[in-house]
Amino acid sequence: MKNRTKLPNIFLGVVTVVFYLPILLVILYSFNESRISSVWEGFSLKWYAELFRDKALLEALMNSIVLAVLSSLAAAVIGTLGSVGMTRVKLRTNGLIEYISTLPIMIPEIILGIVFLTFFSLISLPFGMTTLLIAHTAFCIPYVFILVKARLAGMDKSLIEAARDLGASEFRAFLDITLPLIFPAIASGMLLSFAMSLDDVVISIFVTGVNTNTLPLKIYTQLKTGVTPKMNALCTLMFIVTFLLGVLSVYIGKNPNSNHQKEERL
Amino acid sequence: MNEIVPRNVKHKDNRRLGISVLSLLPLYIFTLLFVAGPLVYMFILSFMQRAEVWGVVNEFTLKNYAGIAEPIYLKTFLESFKLAIISTLSIILIGYPFGYFMAKLSAVWRKRMMLLLMIPFWISSLIRLYGWIIIFRANGVLDKVLMGIGITDAPLKLLYTYPAVVVGMVYSLLPFMIFSVYASAEKLDWSIIEAARDLGATRWKAFLTITLKLTLPGLLSGVVLTFIPSMGLFFIADIMGGNKVVLVGNVIQEQLMKAHNWPFAAALSVVLMILTSLMILLYRKITHVKDLEGLV
Amino acid sequence: MKKLFAGIIALSLCLVLITGCTATKAGGTLTLFTWEGMFPQEVLDGFTKETGIAINYNNFDFDETMLAKLEAAKGGDYDLVIADDYIIETVIAEGLAQKLDKSRIKNFANINPVYQGQFYDPKDEYTVPYGAGVQTIVFNPDLVKIDIKGYKDLFDPALKDSVGVIANYRVINGLALKVLGESYNTEDVSKIEAAGKKLLELAPNIRVIKDDNLQDDLISGEISAAVMYTSQVTAAKLANPNLKVVYPQEGIGFGIMANFIPSKAPNADAAYEFIDYILRPEISAQCFEWLGYYSTNLAADEKINDAYKEFLTLPADFKGNGEMIRTVGAEAEEAHTRVWTEFKAAAGQN
Repeated sequence: MKNRTKLPNIFLGVVTVVFYLPILLVILYSFNESRISSVWEGFSLKWYAELFRDKALLEALMNSIVLAVLSSLAAAVIGTLGSVGMTRVKLRTNGLIEYISTLPIMIPEIILGIVFLTFFSLISLPFGMTTLLIAHTAFCIPYVFILVKARLAGMDKSLIEAARDLGASEFRAFLDITLPLIFPAIASGMLLSFAMSLDDVVISIFVTGVNTNTLPLKIYTQLKTGVTPKMNALCTLMFIVTFLLGVLSVYIGKNPNSNHQKEERL
Repeated sequence: MNEIVPRNVKHKDNRRLGISVLSLLPLYIFTLLFVAGPLVYMFILSFMQRAEVWGVVNEFTLKNYAGIAEPIYLKTFLESFKLAIISTLSIILIGYPFGYFMAKLSAVWRKRMMLLLMIPFWISSLIRLYGWIIIFRANGVLDKVLMGIGITDAPLKLLYTYPAVVVGMVYSLLPFMIFSVYASAEKLDWSIIEAARDLGATRWKAFLTITLKLTLPGLLSGVVLTFIPSMGLFFIADIMGGNKVVLVGNVIQEQLMKAHNWPFAAALSVVLMILTSLMILLYRKITHVKDLEGLV
Repeated sequence: MKKLFAGIIALSLCLVLITGCTATKAGGTLTLFTWEGMFPQEVLDGFTKETGIAINYNNFDFDETMLAKLEAAKGGDYDLVIADDYIIETVIAEGLAQKLDKSRIKNFANINPVYQGQFYDPKDEYTVPYGAGVQTIVFNPDLVKIDIKGYKDLFDPALKDSVGVIANYRVINGLALKVLGESYNTEDVSKIEAAGKKLLELAPNIRVIKDDNLQDDLISGEISAAVMYTSQVTAAKLANPNLKVVYPQEGIGFGIMANFIPSKAPNADAAYEFIDYILRPEISAQCFEWLGYYSTNLAADEKINDAYKEFLTLPADFKGNGEMIRTVGAEAEEAHTRVWTEFKAAAGQN
C-alpha cells in the first residue's frame, strides 16, 4: 500500500533528525579543546589521544559489548521459548511466572542492585562476568517476552494446528512457522536488550567483580570529578563503529533468500 | 477435542505437551531462581529494622510502611505518577504514528529505520542527555538559533524546568514505544484496510475499527515498556530538572545511599511495585485486551 | 542478516574466551577502588613503568556503594581504597581496614599535619589523606548586584531562580543550620526541622541542584551564584578569573578524602608502594593540579604551579570555624532526608 501523501515520511524524517541532534552535539564537543562543555575553546584531538592511552577504558568497553551480546542472546532464548511455550501449554502458573519475570523492570534499579548483591553473596556466586550476566539477563528478558507475546497475540493459531495435522512435529512447527513470524519481535527485543545492557550502570556496579569493569560504570563514576570530553570521544567512536556495522548489515541483508520471501509465502 | 479420537492422534497430543513444556523450563527456572529469590529478600527486608549507622537488624517491624504515610513521601508517589502519565502520553503521541508509518515503509527502509533508531540508543544515555543540555542551556544551541533568527532576545532558561524533564523522558523512552508498535504493525495485512476503504469506509473509520484494534497489543506493550521505567527513572529528572523534580526513585536512592535506611527503601520499592502492577491491571481492563491475558 | 548474527556471536564468544583468561602480570596487580578520574593518566602509567605493577582501576559512584561491596567481599578483593572521611569511620568501625605499617611509607612525613588526627582516624593508624575540600560560595560579580559574604546572603530575593547548589544534603541542610547558628552534626531533630523550614525560604532562589559539573552552569551564565565543591571552584576560577570566592562567615564544612588498605587486601605490598609513590612531592603536585582539591601534602605545596596555588592550598586565616561533617544517628538522618526531600520539592515549584 503506497502512501498517498508525503506527510508520514516527513514526520519520520523530522523526528529522526531531532533524535540525532543531541548526538551530533556530543560528537562535535568531543573535539572541544576545553574540558568544560560550556566553553568552546577550539578544535582539538587531544581527547582522542587520551582515550587511546586509557587501556582500562577500552577494556571496559570490550567487557560491556561482550556482556550485552551474551545477555541479549540469553534473554532472547529464555524469553522467546517461554513466551511461545506459554501459548502452547496452558498451565495455571503461567500468569504468575510471567508477572514475576517482568518485575525487574518495575523496580528501580538501585534496589534491584542491592538485592542482587545480597542474594548472590548468599548463594556464594563468584562476582564478575557470571553475576553480571545473570543480572543483565534478568532485566532483559521482560523486553523480549513482552514484544514476542504481543506479536504472538495476533498470530493465527490455526496455522500451527494445520502444520501439526499435516504431520509436522511440535519442534518443526515452531521452527518453520512460529519463528519466522515472530522474528521481528525477537530482533526488536534483542536490540532493546543490547541497548539496556550496554547502558546499565546501577545494577552493574553492585554485582560486578574486581576484574570486570564495564563502560557505563566508568562514565557514571566520573561524575564526582567531572565527566571529560574523553567520554564524548569514546561515544563518537562507538557511534561511528555501530553505524558502519549497521550499514554493513543492511547490505548483507539484501540477500534474496532472506525472511522477506518467506513472509510473502505465508 | 471430543472423546471420539483415534488412538494415534491422542498419542500425538501427549507428546506435544512434552516438548513444549520443555520450552517453558528455562523461563520457569531462571525466574524462580534469579528473580523470585532476590525479590523475596527485598520483601523480607522491608519488614526489618535498620541498624543505627549501617546495615539491618533482624527485628520485625511495620515502621517502614508507616513511614511512607508522611505527606512528603505520598506527594512523591503522586509526582512520579504525574510524570509517568505525561511522559507516556507524549510518547504515545509521537511513538505510535512513528511505529505505524515505519511499518508501512518498504522492506529496505524498514531495516534502515530500525538501525537508525537503535544506534544512538547504544550510546550512553547519560552522554546523550548532556547533548540536550548543550541545546537547552542558557545561551546554548537553541537560544543561539532563536536569538539569531530574532524570535527571542534573551535566553529562554529552558533547562532545569519540568518541560525539560519531560523532553528527557520522551527522548530516552521513545524507542520502546516505536519498536513495540512496529513489531505489531509490521504484520498487518494492508489488504484488509484496502478492502474496507473500497467498501466505502473513511480513512479514519478504517483506522479506528481495523488498524487500531490490530495494533492494540503493540500499543499496550509499548505503554507497559514506557510507563513502568518512567516511574523509576530518576536520573533524567536529576540531570534535566536540576534535581528539583522529586520522584520515588530519587527517594529510594537517597534512603539507600545517604540515609543508609535499606528497609525503608525496600518498603518504598514494594509499594512502587504494587502500585505499578495495579496501574497496568487497570489499563488492561480499560482496553479490554483479552489477548494479553496473563500480562499482569 | 542471520549470517551477520552468527558472525557476531562467534566473534563475541572468542572475545569472552580471551577476556576470561586472567593474565598474571609480572610484578603483580594493584586493585585500586575509587571514583573515576582521581589520578592523571601519566601518574598511573609512571607507577606501572617504575614498579612493574599493573593497576586494576575499579570504580564506585557513592561511598555507600563502596562500603556495600567491601562488606560483601569481607574486606578482601581490593588493595587500596580512596573514599570520603565519614565513610572511613564506618569502615574502620566494621573492621574492614587494616592498620598501616608506617615504616613502609617513607614519605609519610610529607603529609600536612592540618589534615591529620581527624575524627575518622584520630591516631592516624589507618589512613593517608589524599585531597581535602571546603564548600564555598562562588558568584559572578557581573550578574550579582549584592555583596555576598555568607550563606544568609543567598536568601536575598535579588537572587531569585539563579542559585545553584551541590546535591550534598548534609552540606545544604548544614547551610541552614549554620545560618541558625547550629552545628552540622546536631542530633537534635527539632533543630534539623527548624533548618528545614529555613531552607524553604531559600527554595525560590534555587535554579539547580546537582553534583556533577556545577561549575559549567556558573560559567555559562545559567546561574549567577553557587555553593560548590573545591574542585569545581578551581575549574570555575581557571575558566573565569573574575568570579569571586567567598568563605561563608557563618562557618564552613570541611571534608577529607583518604587512602586506606582493606583488612584482607590481596596485595597490600602494592598498596604500600602506591601510597609512597603518590606522596612524593612532584607526583603529589601533579595529582592535585589534576584533581583540583586542596593539597594534603605539605612537601608538595611548593611544587604546585603558581597558577593553581591559590585554589589548592589553604588560606592563612582558615582554621577559625571549619567543622567536619560527620555521620549522625538514625533519627537525625531520617529528619535530614525528609527535610532535604521537602526542600527539593519546594525548589521544583519554580
